Amino acid sequence: MSLAEVLRPKVPRNLHATVAASFVALALFLFVSWRWAWSPKRGLGLAFGIAAALVYVLEMLYPARRSRARPLGTALRYLQAHVYLGAFAFVCVVIHSGLRFPGGTLGWLLLLLSLWTTASGLFGVWLQKWIPAAMAGGLQVEALYERIPELVEGLVAEADSLAAEGSDALDRFYRQEVRDRLGSLSPSWGYLFDVRAGREAALDPFRRMRAYVPQEDKERLEDLASLYTDKLELDAQLRLQGVLRRWLWIHVPPAGLLMGLVVVHVFAWVWY
Amino acid sequence: MTSGADRTELRRRYEERLQLRVPAELAALSELSLFAGIPEKARDKVLEKVRKYMHFAAYRRGDVVLREGDYGDSAYYVVKGSAEVLLGKPAAADRRAAPRVRGGAHAASAKGGAKPGASGMIGRGHVPGTVILSAHPAAEIAPGGRAVLEAGEVFGEISALSRYPISATVRAASDLRLLQIRLPGLRMLQAASKDFKKFLDTRYRERTLGRHLRGVSLFEDVSPAVIDAVREKAELVAFQPGQVIVEEGAPADAFFLVRGGYVKVSAAAGTSELAITYLRTGDFAGEAALILDEPWPFTLQALEHVELVKITREEFRRVLAAHPPVEEKLWAATLARLKQRGAALQSPVSSEYMRMAMDTGLIHGESVLLIDLATCTRCDECVRGCADAHAGEARFVREGQRYRNWLVPTACYQCTDPVCMVDCPTGAITRAIGTLEVQIDPSTCIGCSNCAKRCPWGNIVMVEQEETRPDGKPIEVATKCDLCFGRAEGPACVQMCPHGSAVRISFKDMERVVSTLK
Repeated sequence: MSLAEVLRPKVPRNLHATVAASFVALALFLFVSWRWAWSPKRGLGLAFGIAAALVYVLEMLYPARRSRARPLGTALRYLQAHVYLGAFAFVCVVIHSGLRFPGGTLGWLLLLLSLWTTASGLFGVWLQKWIPAAMAGGLQVEALYERIPELVEGLVAEADSLAAEGSDALDRFYRQEVRDRLGSLSPSWGYLFDVRAGREAALDPFRRMRAYVPQEDKERLEDLASLYTDKLELDAQLRLQGVLRRWLWIHVPPAGLLMGLVVVHVFAWVWY
Repeated sequence: MTSGADRTELRRRYEERLQLRVPAELAALSELSLFAGIPEKARDKVLEKVRKYMHFAAYRRGDVVLREGDYGDSAYYVVKGSAEVLLGKPAAADRRAAPRVRGGAHAASAKGGAKPGASGMIGRGHVPGTVILSAHPAAEIAPGGRAVLEAGEVFGEISALSRYPISATVRAASDLRLLQIRLPGLRMLQAASKDFKKFLDTRYRERTLGRHLRGVSLFEDVSPAVIDAVREKAELVAFQPGQVIVEEGAPADAFFLVRGGYVKVSAAAGTSELAITYLRTGDFAGEAALILDEPWPFTLQALEHVELVKITREEFRRVLAAHPPVEEKLWAATLARLKQRGAALQSPVSSEYMRMAMDTGLIHGESVLLIDLATCTRCDECVRGCADAHAGEARFVREGQRYRNWLVPTACYQCTDPVCMVDCPTGAITRAIGTLEVQIDPSTCIGCSNCAKRCPWGNIVMVEQEETRPDGKPIEVATKCDLCFGRAEGPACVQMCPHGSAVRISFKDMERVVSTLK
């Protein structure tokens, strides 16, 4: 999948609207800050801060799409709103601060967490576009994440009986060089960049062995290689589906922390 | 919700019914007048072969034998006693005319019944009102009325052979003894005995064929006299799965109307074969070649057991001569067919999808769930959405066949002819006429698993309930996707997918299939 395809928005008009709104906000900021002194505590500066805080509250309501996706109608619209409003909220945060580095620790934390949450969210969007396309394009085996260990056990059982039916040479090759690797999951990080990473090298012993097994075992050897290929694909599925599930750990907890600090920030502004 | 006691009672009755079904002994069968047409020398041999598909079944007065709206796979011969045929209110038939489409999940086909212009390569027909009771066709019974079937009558065979939904309820009017002949047995008897075939064909010809012909747009305005003439002359033919019905290039000598089953239409493209479309009950083929006086422009092949009505070239020409407007319709249909053939030849993708749909059985699906693996993040929100919509129990598994980037999960296809509806002892599995959703009522399902065993795609799952039977074993209930029936937003799997990867499509609408899967 090309970079252009990965970056292509699912609903282009949402991207266009977000970019337009961001430009309008920036133009507004430039105009106001040119005419008057910019302050995050009053006027338009405060308005951008309130807008960002409100959008963050909406962002935190993303799980509320279950179970009927009301009021947006579908989970797809919820996710689109989550992504584009989140990006726009970051623009609001930056404008709220007057395009300047914040002064205190809380300000720094808020800015960095906003940046992290937005960047990790966009990274998630990229992962969610890149990984499924790579899996669909490069892998033949499709498996439910939770069932992968069980499926590998099934492959081992099948390979055991296949090898047992064959000659001693085949059985010995299987026991010494294949079985352990077939039975243990090894989800390499390399799959993130190439879903077929290391496959040729992993299948090399099967090719070498072909010259040493009797004629009647050649088909069995092919079948063993095929089972082993399935296992490699399950490794890739495990890694890639795992990444799709776990990237949320770099997004959701910081987002929660950000919301907590936003509350402190608002409280501090009201109190002082 | 039915209590455990009610369900136990339903189960007890079902088990009692099973006990009342006894294998048909040869001696008892030989005595029946139904088989008198089989030559005496061959009779025992034929019956011995078919015997495993036949049972004697006893019903008490008031017991329901067939239910309106269900699908049947058996013919019933009344051995002793009488049965009453009850026709429901006409409202149900009205609903059929305008299928209900909910939640925007299913694009209603813009195509009408068998309008030539819309039909494309092959005429698409519809069967207006369905008739199975050959002994007393629904047309002869006033709505809400009843008729009585006495010993020697046969009913149910047309639903079994043509896969029409049953149009009337049949109930035991007295203590009743029936011979139930399942579909394979019916087919074997038809093949073994000309008389038996003639017996069934005559009944079909007399009771249903006229109505069937009227369902085809070509004949809808034709006078009753011409329909009667065609009905008399038409030949009823059957083909085995895989059998070639007509071959491309062969002289066209007949018009075919599909009475039951699926027929593949294909044409040669160089050295390969291009699937153009398929025909099902109510569709027709052959008129283009007849009016153009050309050989068959495509090959017709039975995808499964197929029953056809064959009208010879001469008879067909007589209809044309008597009714010039028919010829106008034919020209329009022919033009559309040629366009479709050209489109198929130019679009191998469409042909490939058509072939895939035929090979995998997806052509049966009225609403098939597909997941685009190139955009699906495997988040399982579709499964969670399904579970939320069904009291915590998901009705499908995100596993199944894969075609290119598309996964066909293990979810009910809502088949056009749902074989799961055949033989449900309590009528728990139903489809309201004119709707897509085949539903299972958990309160009357007794867990016999007949439907799960019949589903060719394994899309019905038996789920253990908390309730237990008197013997301590947990009660099982059949569950399947019901398209989230009653949910205003439509199927939750589609609505709750955050990436728009889950879609539902009908493989009847190949244009949408091609535009979705490309």
